[in-house]
Amino acid sequence: MNNRDNKPNFFVREIPFIVLLVFWVIYAGIEIIRDRLDLLTSTIPTVFFIIAYIVVKLLSKDQAGQK
Amino acid sequence: MDTFLSLELIALALTGLLIWHSASTRGAAFTWMFFLGGALLGLIRENVVAQVAALNLYSYNPATFHLWIGAAPLILMVFWSYTIYLALTFSEVIAGGDLIGGKRRVWVILLSMVFMASYACLNEAFAGIYPMVLWKFKPALTIWGGTPAMVLWGYAGMALIFLLALLLVYKLRMRTVYRVIIFCASVIVMIPLHLLWIVVFRLATSAIG
Repeated sequence: MNNRDNKPNFFVREIPFIVLLVFWVIYAGIEIIRDRLDLLTSTIPTVFFIIAYIVVKLLSKDQAGQK
Repeated sequence: MDTFLSLELIALALTGLLIWHSASTRGAAFTWMFFLGGALLGLIRENVVAQVAALNLYSYNPATFHLWIGAAPLILMVFWSYTIYLALTFSEVIAGGDLIGGKRRVWVILLSMVFMASYACLNEAFAGIYPMVLWKFKPALTIWGGTPAMVLWGYAGMALIFLLALLLVYKLRMRTVYRVIIFCASVIVMIPLHLLWIVVFRLATSAIG
């Protein structure tokens, strides 16, 4: 069975993004609280993926809007 | 409640959300294979690594974790599947690909490996606050922030091995239940392959050192 054709709602579709964001905020938040934030190691590499994901989503929405 | 116990429970709950996402967008067969296989992989691999001294890798810090299954923390049962699932989903969106459908498969796998290495950085920096693992050796090669390069390589390799095995078994023309069983059984092959992947890196970097 493949559910790809039954499009789930926005919340369900974006669960992976929400999950990564929650982990990222918790990790970075605790590092800030403990005064141990290591921007280069802990936050920047995954931020590239978060930004790329948002950009691709926005671009695909624009393209869908232009059709 | 202890902060780290909260984190362990949050990790389990977030994995539940990812399973829901997988079932809603990828179907039951994929979800059973991915998350049941991933759980077995985590359970067996992490117990082997923690208990077999000859591997000389690491064990888990009993002062940090609260929930255990054998010699490994409970969250390690879900750790590999949730990180690889995040890697796969992000990579498919960014590359505009589809691992199972065959669209830009190579890019999806390569990007998943890069994602895993990035996630390793996040985890390792966090481990500086909560010492999750007790290393049994001094890493020969570290990157910025003192992160052992072997960890990044290890995470990336796990994504490669897991996704290739998943693809191979998913494409078998047989009933879902048999594919799930075969994929779960294949962790017995995945674990030594991944340990070999790490040995190769350790040998290469020890020569550099």
